[in-house]
Amino acid sequence: MMDSECLSLLPAVCLVLADPKQSPPDDTSLEKLLDWFKALHSQSNGQVLLQHQPCLLEFISSVCTSKTTDPAILSFTLNLTGLLAATTQGFHLLDEGGLLACVFEREAWGVCDLWEDASVRSGWLQGLLNMLKHQQALDFMCGNGLIKVILQLQNDRSLFVACLANQLLVHILNFLTSSNMTNESDVVGSSESSLRPDCVLVSSEIMNAVVEVLSSEDHPQVLQGLRLLSLVLSQCGEPIRSTLWKDVLVPLEVLVNRGSESLIQTLITVLEAAVRTPLLSQSEHKVEELLEAMLGDGNRKECFQCAALIVKLEKCPEVLKRKAMDIIMFPLQCVSTQPQAEKEINVVLKEQLSQKASCISLLMQSLSSLAQLAHAKYLFEDISIHSITSSVVLLLRMCSGHCPSSLLHINTFTHLIGCCKVQRCGLDTLGALSVYEENLDLRMNVFGVLLDYLQSPDSHATVLKKTFQAVKRWIVCSPFPDLLQFISHDLFPVLEKRMCDLRWEVRDSTLEFITQLTAALNDNSGFTEALHTSGMVSVLLSSLADAEGYVRASAVAAVREAVTASFHQTVLVSNSKLLEEALVQMMAILSQDTEGFPRRAVVQTFTSWLKGSHLVTALESSLSSVLSLGGNDFDWEVKMHTLELAEVLMEKTLTCCPYAVQNFGSSEETRFTQALIKFKDFGLFDLLFNSLFDCDRPVCERACALLVKLRTLTAETADLDHSVLVLNVCGNRWGDEVQRRYLNKQQAKASVCVTNGVTGSDDGMDCGLYCIKDISLPKILQILDLDDMQRMLMLSSDHVVNSPRSLMEDILSAAQQSEENIVDCY
Amino acid sequence: MKLYCLSGHPTLPCNVLKFKSTTIMLDCGLDTTAALYFLPLPLVHSPRLSKLPGWVSKDGAINLEKELKECSGRVFVDSQPEFCLPEKELLDLSTIDVILISNYHCMMALPYITEHTGFTGTVYATEPTLQIGRLLMEELVTFMERVPKAHAATCWKNKEIQRLLPGPLKDAVDVWSWRKCYSMQEVNSALSKVQLVGYSQKVELFGAVQVTPLSSGYSLGSSNWIIQSHYEKVSYVSGSSLLTTHPQPMEQSSLKNSDVLILTGLTQIPTANPDGMLGEFCSNLAMTIRAGGNVLVPCYSSGVIYDLLECLYQFMDSANLGTTPFYFISPVANSSLEFSQIFAEWLCQNKQSKVYLPEPPFPHAELIQTNKLKHYPSIHGDFSSEFRQPCVVFTGHPSLRFGDVVHFMELWGKSSLNTIIFTEPDFSYLDALAPYQPLAMKCVYCPIDTRLNFHQVSKLLKDIQPLHVVCPEPYTQPPPAQPHRSDLMLELQPPPMAYRRCSVLGLPFRRRYERIHLLPELARSLVPSEIKAGVSVATVSAVLQSKDNKHVLQPVPKPAPVPPSKKRKRVMEEPPEVLNPKPLLSGAVPLEPFLAMLHKNGITEVKVEETADGHILHLQTEDVLIQLEEDATHIICDNNEPLRTALRDLVLRFLQKL
Repeated sequence: MMDSECLSLLPAVCLVLADPKQSPPDDTSLEKLLDWFKALHSQSNGQVLLQHQPCLLEFISSVCTSKTTDPAILSFTLNLTGLLAATTQGFHLLDEGGLLACVFEREAWGVCDLWEDASVRSGWLQGLLNMLKHQQALDFMCGNGLIKVILQLQNDRSLFVACLANQLLVHILNFLTSSNMTNESDVVGSSESSLRPDCVLVSSEIMNAVVEVLSSEDHPQVLQGLRLLSLVLSQCGEPIRSTLWKDVLVPLEVLVNRGSESLIQTLITVLEAAVRTPLLSQSEHKVEELLEAMLGDGNRKECFQCAALIVKLEKCPEVLKRKAMDIIMFPLQCVSTQPQAEKEINVVLKEQLSQKASCISLLMQSLSSLAQLAHAKYLFEDISIHSITSSVVLLLRMCSGHCPSSLLHINTFTHLIGCCKVQRCGLDTLGALSVYEENLDLRMNVFGVLLDYLQSPDSHATVLKKTFQAVKRWIVCSPFPDLLQFISHDLFPVLEKRMCDLRWEVRDSTLEFITQLTAALNDNSGFTEALHTSGMVSVLLSSLADAEGYVRASAVAAVREAVTASFHQTVLVSNSKLLEEALVQMMAILSQDTEGFPRRAVVQTFTSWLKGSHLVTALESSLSSVLSLGGNDFDWEVKMHTLELAEVLMEKTLTCCPYAVQNFGSSEETRFTQALIKFKDFGLFDLLFNSLFDCDRPVCERACALLVKLRTLTAETADLDHSVLVLNVCGNRWGDEVQRRYLNKQQAKASVCVTNGVTGSDDGMDCGLYCIKDISLPKILQILDLDDMQRMLMLSSDHVVNSPRSLMEDILSAAQQSEENIVDCY
Repeated sequence: MKLYCLSGHPTLPCNVLKFKSTTIMLDCGLDTTAALYFLPLPLVHSPRLSKLPGWVSKDGAINLEKELKECSGRVFVDSQPEFCLPEKELLDLSTIDVILISNYHCMMALPYITEHTGFTGTVYATEPTLQIGRLLMEELVTFMERVPKAHAATCWKNKEIQRLLPGPLKDAVDVWSWRKCYSMQEVNSALSKVQLVGYSQKVELFGAVQVTPLSSGYSLGSSNWIIQSHYEKVSYVSGSSLLTTHPQPMEQSSLKNSDVLILTGLTQIPTANPDGMLGEFCSNLAMTIRAGGNVLVPCYSSGVIYDLLECLYQFMDSANLGTTPFYFISPVANSSLEFSQIFAEWLCQNKQSKVYLPEPPFPHAELIQTNKLKHYPSIHGDFSSEFRQPCVVFTGHPSLRFGDVVHFMELWGKSSLNTIIFTEPDFSYLDALAPYQPLAMKCVYCPIDTRLNFHQVSKLLKDIQPLHVVCPEPYTQPPPAQPHRSDLMLELQPPPMAYRRCSVLGLPFRRRYERIHLLPELARSLVPSEIKAGVSVATVSAVLQSKDNKHVLQPVPKPAPVPPSKKRKRVMEEPPEVLNPKPLLSGAVPLEPFLAMLHKNGITEVKVEETADGHILHLQTEDVLIQLEEDATHIICDNNEPLRTALRDLVLRFLQKL
């Protein structure tokens, strides 16, 4: 329906676009138009479109032959033509009149110079890419010598064009190997012979070009060649992949051994792609050898990058990985171990470590590789995990100005003092290393350095955050009883101070840390007890009044976890007092706080408490205020969270119904009715109906979903007593809306009755035309056409503005306006 | 040019520069750390201090019970605290022409220098430096005079006795030069010699040199100085800061192109970053107040306290401590708070612009208005009736040896709820606390020193590129406690010249030029002739007049017409006879053309010999030698005057005459 309307506008749009006097619409409009064509194309087939819309053919030919075409329009046309020619029928229609050749052979264009514009070249490539869906398209490209042009465009000065050319070449190679192009009889073999002879011609033209480029001395060309190679490796299948690899192996070896610095990154990308293919496991393909050659003797600048890559590989020969490990660990060991390792340090490394920038980047590479390995719990064999961890600890100490073990690295040392980058990276790594049990006896050492960081007045906020993460990881994985002393005597006082920090970010991350720690250890009675006895809880409560909204929100979360934890440990006496105090402050935040974050956190807290089983009865008295405050909040996210709370409340009540007096023999129905009565008391229905008519679409959507659920339940409960659940619909917004809809329905019914000539005193009629005060819940749910509302709400709010129809209208009206403007000028 | 170093203290410098004909003293800081050897002076009778046992040597041979008291294993002098003065014997202080003051902390020894030494010169300082310096001196005098001590302890200073004393007292140096505090009368007399200057104002000293103060960014009115003649420039950098605090930012570009840069007053705590310390200060303060304790901040009555109050002004509300009172107790508290608000032109741009609104530049005005900050001259009087706990007290002296702080130490020291937060970097906090041991109160050390750190200074030096740097010795090596921190020292090329107390340095540059003025009429009479492109030369005959270190070339007075009197005047009174000077020659005698010229003039037999400096021509027939050298030509010709003259004229043909 929509499309047919658009199609009727198409001829006019084509005229506007082809009109050289009109300035072309902006790029995004053209892109959107193309998107629409693409969608149309995928739905039907091109033939239909072209046959029914001859204006398209006219448009294409007029653009190509025009002497004054705009590059943007030409690019669009190239793209479009490719799209239309993607089906064989479309291809034939375009080819019949020689239009296709006219489009893709630039000598045939009205203005040859337009080729100089990068957007035109890009459109040309994109068009071919769109078209290459069938054999004829390939034949067309080969027959007109377009492959050569594509290969030239590989080295285009525009990066976008060069990249697109590479993609097209890969697409061509892939197309050659797709099933319709191979000899059915010989699918099993994976040699070149399985390609049809004409295909072999094309593929070898491309591959030869790659080999030639890689052997050339022209640096940018080699770079493009390598890029294409890595694309082929990652995107093409057999036999193309191994054929090409065999061909390029020799020049590739030369490039690797030459070790040219600017090619390193790209060479690594190629090897990275090769490693992910089966080529790696076939020794004749020498992937491993190349990797090893890249590593060299560890005395070249690039070997660190390569080692970092190898270390990350999942399927990698162990020998190679170990060699890479050695290299990657070198900088770290070098900086942080005893002088006896000194003699092994190579010259390049030494030089790099003495310069600040390279020293930092090397160490970070070393650390992050280590962290990655630790995340996968890699088993280090040559180096003990113990010594690695000690090195990281030592490095972190050096970063905070402690003396290095050997004064030989005094230069490196001064680069590291206060270097946040290395600190953050080191802390991440240290955190990751917590997974190894072997480190257990280093624990106090680790906690020592972490505590130093937490205490240091110079620690940057981001460094502190990382420190907190590391502390949490080490605490969670350590055996507990020994740690209690550390936590209550060392950690808590520091946290207390950090909660008075000048920087709100620090206060915030401290609270976040406490929240996470409490959540992680909530079944640990020792920790919970320490939390309560050390006075931390009262500090948390006082943070609820922090000046910064984000901090208050985090404090709410921290108090939430503290309360939850205390209820896990029923032995504590102070629980109910804590909960009481927390509730008072949280309700104050929900009703008075000027910022959204803390209010959101409060509602989330209630949801979380309600989800847990311990707190339900204690919360009952506050729930109705939370629902009403949250539902009337002006922050849409608070409302969303309130609806989530409502959902949890509904689920909890309807599944176990803790509020209902569990009479023996009380039926499902009575229980359900009782639950509904409870909901009414909580003000749940007010919340849902108000939210249904909220100004924020997501809120309405959510409320609608909940109401639909409720409707299903009421419908399922057959003998529900409607009179029990009557809601007053007067005097509130949603009630008015329900009344309006109710009256509309009644009127419609009445008019049907009148036309049918039915008169008489139907009592439904009489009362229906008057305003009513009370309607039962099932009735209301019925009156509201929830399904229709839900369908409307599902559409995104800009669905009208974003339609292709409005796009076309925009193009047309813009053209009209510009005409008017011209008239105005006279 | 020489530099006499009268103080080795890097941040309390006192140096004397002899430059051209002037003698300039650069700062006169007073090292008050000697006070740490003394017992505190309590404002209110302290039973604890008065009951301390006197010290007797173990064998009982030396009994100094009255002079020395023992407290927690340390011995203190029970007398009025004394200070270590700048060296007075290195040069005659009466010869000092001027004293340049860079900031109010570096002038505390002024009365010792200007009074009773025969000093007759002028002291130059900016207005805030003078006014706040006066406040600090007044405060010091009041602290001392409020608690008079009947006897001054001197026996312990006896070399033989001191040698046998325990602990740090034994190692105290130059104890005989320590002096007790000056009087208010001396302060007034010293300060009456101060002449006020403004930033960038040029002050001529005897026509010989010009001195200019530049903003140094450290404190209100703090300055660096430029001392320059026409061809030499010495920069004196003392107590500068690049941080954005209340004073006007540091002026750096004028320090460029210095021949010598004297660098003093870097941060005393290079490992403590002021921002981190400020954060530490606030969080410790908040923690103590939340737990119901009091906070004691021993500090000077001007300087960092303004920044602390400003920081707390914002922090207290955000930390929910809005109702906690701040007390600022000092004899000069009121003046200090009020002075800070009136020196608008000396403040940073941000604060200056507030004055135009008009608003007080510092927020402590608002704290006072809302009764959050109260200030009192002393703990006696109103304070005792209005005092409410928990509270924050700012008071002096940071050495904890005198001033109202002594009382709070006695009052609050016993409770672990209270906290003392040290913010001034001048004193070791452990030494300061020594006479109060055992102490239950928490101690936090947050030294806030906004002066340049080594990183900033090396950047600054890279930028301004002085030819030579002179600095106190400690700056040339890592701090003794952290020998591995090679980043905490000055590493320069050429290496800086280091000084210590009593050093006399010859500054490494020779004066090579002096500016001389030509009078216009003399200039008009000159006849310049171009000797090569762009360079013209003229001869001058004139009389050089030197007066007030200015040099002027005047035309030679014409001989007075001979008076008709027949009396003969004395020969001496006659003006000198003016002879027309012989023209000056310039140029070189080229060998080949000269030989050609000789040939033309009939001298054909010439033997040319090449030498290291030129050539020797032997005219064999005439037996004459002509030596042609780069800067001399000799004709050696015996008994043939006409030939010599002819040859001379031939040589002269190749030369230019002026």
